[in-house]
Order: sequence, then C-alpha cells, then structure tokens
Amino acid sequence: MKKFFALLKVSVKSMLLSSTNARGNSRKKAATGVGAMLLIAFLGLYLSGFYSFMLMEVLSPVHMEVLVFIFMGMGALVGGLMFTTFAVKGVVFGGKDNDLLLSMPVSSTMLMISRVSAIYLENLLFSFFVLAPAGAVCAFMTQSGVGRSLLFWVRLIIAVFALPLLDTALSVLFGALVAFLSAKVSKGALGQNIVMALYLAAVFYFAFNLNGMIEGLAANAMGVKESLSWAAPMLWMADGIMGDWGKLLAFAACCVIPFALVVFGLGRVYRQAVTAFAARSARNDYKLSAQAASGQKKALLAKEAKRFFGTPMYFWNAGIGLIMLLGAGVAALVMQGKLDAVIAMMGGALPVMPMAALVMGFCLCTCVIAAPSISLEGKYLWILREAPVGEKPLLWIKTGFELLLSVPCTVASGVCLTIALRLSIGEGAVLLLAMLLFCVIHAAFGVLMGLTFPKLDAVNETVVVKQSLAVTLGMFVPMAALGVCALLYWLGGMISPAAALALPLALLAALTAACVLILAKKGPAMLRAL
Amino acid sequence: MLRIEHYSKTYPGGKKAVDDLTLHVRPGEIYGFIGHNGAGKTTTLRACAGVMDFTEGTITIDGHDVKKDPVGAKRVTAFLPDNPDLYEFMKGIDYLNFIADLYDIPADQRTADIKKYADAFELTGNLGSPIGSFSHGMRQKLALISAFIRRPRLLILDEPFVGLDPSASHIMKGYLADLCRGGSAVFFSTHVLEVAEKLCHQIAIIKDGRLVKCGPTEALVGDSSLEDVFLELEGDK
Repeated sequence: MKKFFALLKVSVKSMLLSSTNARGNSRKKAATGVGAMLLIAFLGLYLSGFYSFMLMEVLSPVHMEVLVFIFMGMGALVGGLMFTTFAVKGVVFGGKDNDLLLSMPVSSTMLMISRVSAIYLENLLFSFFVLAPAGAVCAFMTQSGVGRSLLFWVRLIIAVFALPLLDTALSVLFGALVAFLSAKVSKGALGQNIVMALYLAAVFYFAFNLNGMIEGLAANAMGVKESLSWAAPMLWMADGIMGDWGKLLAFAACCVIPFALVVFGLGRVYRQAVTAFAARSARNDYKLSAQAASGQKKALLAKEAKRFFGTPMYFWNAGIGLIMLLGAGVAALVMQGKLDAVIAMMGGALPVMPMAALVMGFCLCTCVIAAPSISLEGKYLWILREAPVGEKPLLWIKTGFELLLSVPCTVASGVCLTIALRLSIGEGAVLLLAMLLFCVIHAAFGVLMGLTFPKLDAVNETVVVKQSLAVTLGMFVPMAALGVCALLYWLGGMISPAAALALPLALLAALTAACVLILAKKGPAMLRAL
Repeated sequence: MLRIEHYSKTYPGGKKAVDDLTLHVRPGEIYGFIGHNGAGKTTTLRACAGVMDFTEGTITIDGHDVKKDPVGAKRVTAFLPDNPDLYEFMKGIDYLNFIADLYDIPADQRTADIKKYADAFELTGNLGSPIGSFSHGMRQKLALISAFIRRPRLLILDEPFVGLDPSASHIMKGYLADLCRGGSAVFFSTHVLEVAEKLCHQIAIIKDGRLVKCGPTEALVGDSSLEDVFLELEGDK
C-alpha cells in the first residue's frame, strides 16, 4: 500500500498542484494552490447552491424535492465527465513519466489504479461541491424536514462518494477513446474534435431539454420525474438520498460495478494500452516539393493556430466560449419571437443592452486562449528564445492570436444580438465598443497572468489548460471586472442614463489601457526572466 | 566571431556557475568546450545563444552584443541544446519552414537547403510526419537541419553527438567543416574527447565555472592526448 500511496501522491500532485507557480517558494506554491482550490470550491458551492435553491423553491411546496438531487446528480455527472475526460488522456494514458514509472518494481495494474484513483478524487471534489449545497438547501427548505436528520446526511455522503465512481468509469472509457484517436488516426486532432463536437452537441441538447422540463416543473413535477426513467441510476440516487435505502444500494451498485469492471479490464491490458497509445511511427513517404516563404509574424501566428486547433483539449477548453458567443447570437436571431415575449413579460424593466453585454462578456471570459499560451511553450521555450525575434513581438503575437479569434466572433455575435434585441444603432455601437475593449482586456490580462504564474514544467498540456492558476485568474478576474461594470451601470443609472453607460465604458477603457501598458512595459522583462 | 569577455553567471541562491570567463572564437574555427558535468558549459552556451540572461561581462557575436542587440546576434547564430525539444504538434517540414520564416530565408534557398541536408541525414521521407512520432535521433537530425539551413555565422552546439548514429555524426562533422571553410565558426561542448581532439582547431577546458586552459588543440595536447590533459587538469590523474 505504501507504493500505491506514493504513486497516488504523484498523480494527484501532477493534477491538483499544477495550479501552483513552479518558480515560487513552497509557501507561495501552497498559497496559490490553496487560493485556486478555494476559488473553484467557492464557485462550485455558489452555482450549485443557487440552482438548488431556485429548484427547491419551486419543488418543495409540491413535495418533489427529490428532483433537485436528480438534476444536481446529472449536473455533477456531466460536469465531471467534461472536466476529467481529457485529464484521463493525459494522466492515465499519456503521462510523460510513463517510461519511468513502468520501469519501476510496481505492477502496471497498481500504477493504473493509482492514476484512476487520482481521477476519482478530482470527480469526488466535483461531486461534493455540487451535491453538498443541494443537501444544505434541502435541510433548510424541505417541508417534511427530511434534510435535518443525521441519516439523510449519511445517505448523501454515500451518494457523494459513489457518484464519482460512475463518472470515473465513463471518463476513463471516453479518455481511452480520445487517446486511441490521437495515436492511431492520421488526422487524430480532427477525429477528437469531431468526437468532442458530438459530445457537446449531446450535452447542449440535454441542457435545452432540461430547461424545458424545469419550466414546467411546478405544474407537472411527477411527470418530469417519470420522463427521466432513462436516467434510472440518478432517480435511484435521488430517492435513496431522500430515504429509500434499497434504491441507494441499487445506485451504489450501478456506480461500483462499472468502476470495478473498468479497473479490472484496464488493469489486464494497461501496459499494452499505454504502449499502443504512445507508439506513433513516422511515415517514410514524404516527397519534398518547392516550399513557400512567409514572414516572422505570420509564422508565429500560424504556430499558435497549429497548437490551438491541433490540440483538441486546448481547443475545446479555451474555444468553447467562442462557440457559446456565436451560438448566443445566432440563437437570439432564430428565437427572436421567444426573446420578444420574455422582454415584454418583464415590462421593460430589463436593461436589455447591458444584459446582452454581460452574456457576451461571460462567454468571452471562458475563452482563455492567451492565458495558458506562455506555459504551453514549456520545454519548447528555447526555440523562441534563440529566434531572432524580440520579446515584445512574441507577446503581442500571443495576445493578437486570441484577438484574431475573439474579435470576429464578438462582432458577429454583437450584430446578431443588436438585430435580435432590436437595439438602436447607438446602443449596438456601445455594445460592440464595450465588448471589443473587453476582448483586449481579456487577451492582454491573460498573457500577463501567463507571465506571472508560468507553469513551464507541467507534465502535460491538460494541467496547463484546465488547472493552471494563470487560466483560473485569466477567466475569473475578467468576470469580476464584468461584475464591477454592472455595479457601475447601476450606480450611474441613479445619476442619468448617459452616466450609466459612460461609467462602465470608462472602466473598460481604463482597464484596457492599464493591461496594454503593463504588458508593453513589464512583459518583455517578465518573459526574459522565465 | 564570438567574444566572451569576463562573463560570470550567478544563480539565485548565490551559486556561481561561471566565473570571469574570457574566450574568443575566430571565423573559420571549430572551438571545443570541455569540462565535467556541472562545470558551466551549458550555462555559457545558453548565454551565448541569448537563451539565458546574465548580469556580468559581455558577449558579442559577429559584432552584435548579445545583451544590447539580442535580435541582431540571434540572426547570425544557430543554437542546438543537448536535448532539443521540438514542437510535437508540427510536422517535420512545418518546423523547418517555421524556422526558415523566423530567419527570413527565401523560398528557393530553403527548398534547396532542406533537400540538401534532409537527404544527407536521410530524413526527407519522414518530414511529412508529426514530430511527436519522431525518435530521439530523428529529432536531433531535424534540429541539426534547422540549424544548417540558417547558414549561421556562428553555430553553437551543446553535446551534438548524443543520440546521433555514427553515420549521422560523420555527416555532421563534414558539414561543420564546410561551414567553417565558408568563414563561419562553431562553438560546441562535448564529452567525447576523441572527437574534440580530431575536430577542433581550439579547445577550452572549464572546471567549476573557471577557464583552466585554452588554446590551439595541437599546443594544448602536445605529445599527450586530450584525455590525459583533461584528466590531469581535472585532478583525476
């Protein structure tokens, strides 16, 4: 067991402590790591608590609290899957320490279990942060008082520990598929992108349907529950948490058995799987033809593009915001009638343009392309350092690449929303101006975070793109700036409508100038010091 | 070509990796840099290539100060680290074109040079494959090709023979000699003393960050062998 825990510690460290700054001292490392964890925990608790409260308010009067746990369970399952599928590819199959650890006097099965256990622990965190707030809401809001008994919490804890087993089993299977596609298909990145696109389409389809279900919840909660019979394990989990021990056991079995099968099955072929997924032999049939030349900037931009589009994990994690941004614009145009109805229902109380700006800003926040780009250079940094290119152009290329993608999507989405929401040309222009400023802030701030919290020694790209502190801050600090903008809009509204628009715009302009100036003045020295 | 004047490098924590090193590499010279592990060879080579910052001393390449005019210095230099990590998401040919673009190499020149060096190192057929599928030796060859197509005035190599098969080593030595005949210079570190003795016009021996001996190979070795001289200076003999 000593060996197992040593291996588990290595895997967990590579996953969870990847958010720390590799160059800081141990106290700074611990502080940044704990800070990032607290931020994620706070957001998980807040989002789950918020939605559980909203659902419970509707469902508690009709004694259908069980549905809260069904929805939250599904959320934890799908969220965990999205979070860990690519981590499985990196941690379980594609670890750069594979050769080292497989040569150690430990069985490959033990190595595999230690790595799968690390994935389980990550899913466990996710499960806890989603289900615990639902339990707390239930304790305060149920009419029957079921949430206030000790046994309720025992059952909830069993569910919290069991659900990640199912999540882990599924993410190991998906991760194996992704690793297989990377290694065996000549257009591996394209194949992975297609798989991920289909997966996300299914998630969005499910989310839209769920939305429809929630709309009619109060009126037909029992019908909604019955319509979810295809997700029987989630129903059993929810019924189990609410008091049915038999169903809770059935749910636990549904989690333990697939996990055991995956671990047992993979344990038998782990060494072969790792070898097969790693073995990529170079073809020997290339015919050299006349090559074309392009400039330095074009070459550096093309390099960023190749990394972004050729690394599915990077593309889907950092690019999803752009897809959502475009999706929001197109959906608003397609469902203009419904949108009109919602706005009419609000009786003009809804500040439409600022709301659109918040939605667009939120989507842009999740588009963290620039923030991980410094850490992604990692072991390749020497290539840029020995190249006859100054540090300043290198940083602007990284900032510019994010802008190259985010600006067209922002303009397209802004125009669609302006038309769909019937904004005046002036309002549309303000919306676009604000969002374009926000694009610049987000990209420049992301590069600054990449320089401040580099993770050049990451064991794989997953830990940089999904868990590094630079990415976390590059996403959430701009979100906080959006919140301040909303506050300024509200405060300005007390003075005049013009002030309501001017104050957030002034803040965005000031932040843009600050980020650009700091990047220009301090960035090159920071890059040199890495 | 390369002038290192009173160069010192102190790492955070106070450890002095290199102490007051002065060394000149003239055009047309192959200059070998030898020393035990941790002597300061890689630190010096990385500083010359502009990959690592330093605080004391000056380094100039073909008249360009590495600190004051880093881009100018890099434009005439090619550097190869001991374990060249190359972009795995690129194909071999994409990497060569990427480097060629950074050095503004015209299309016809790069096509001809890529063909010349890739054919010589028997890598042409593999250039269409992702670098991630390359073996260590193939990566080393690709990195070497990317260095040669720049036609550098100064080629800096850190342990260039590690990972190369005997045939590729032989070819590389021939191209190094060609480069020097054209007026360029080569500055490289190695642990293979026999190769250094045969290949280098000048040799410098560094110990604990300080230059202990340097000069023309014949004068340095005399009637002995480089191995004997090295071991004597290192105090192992």
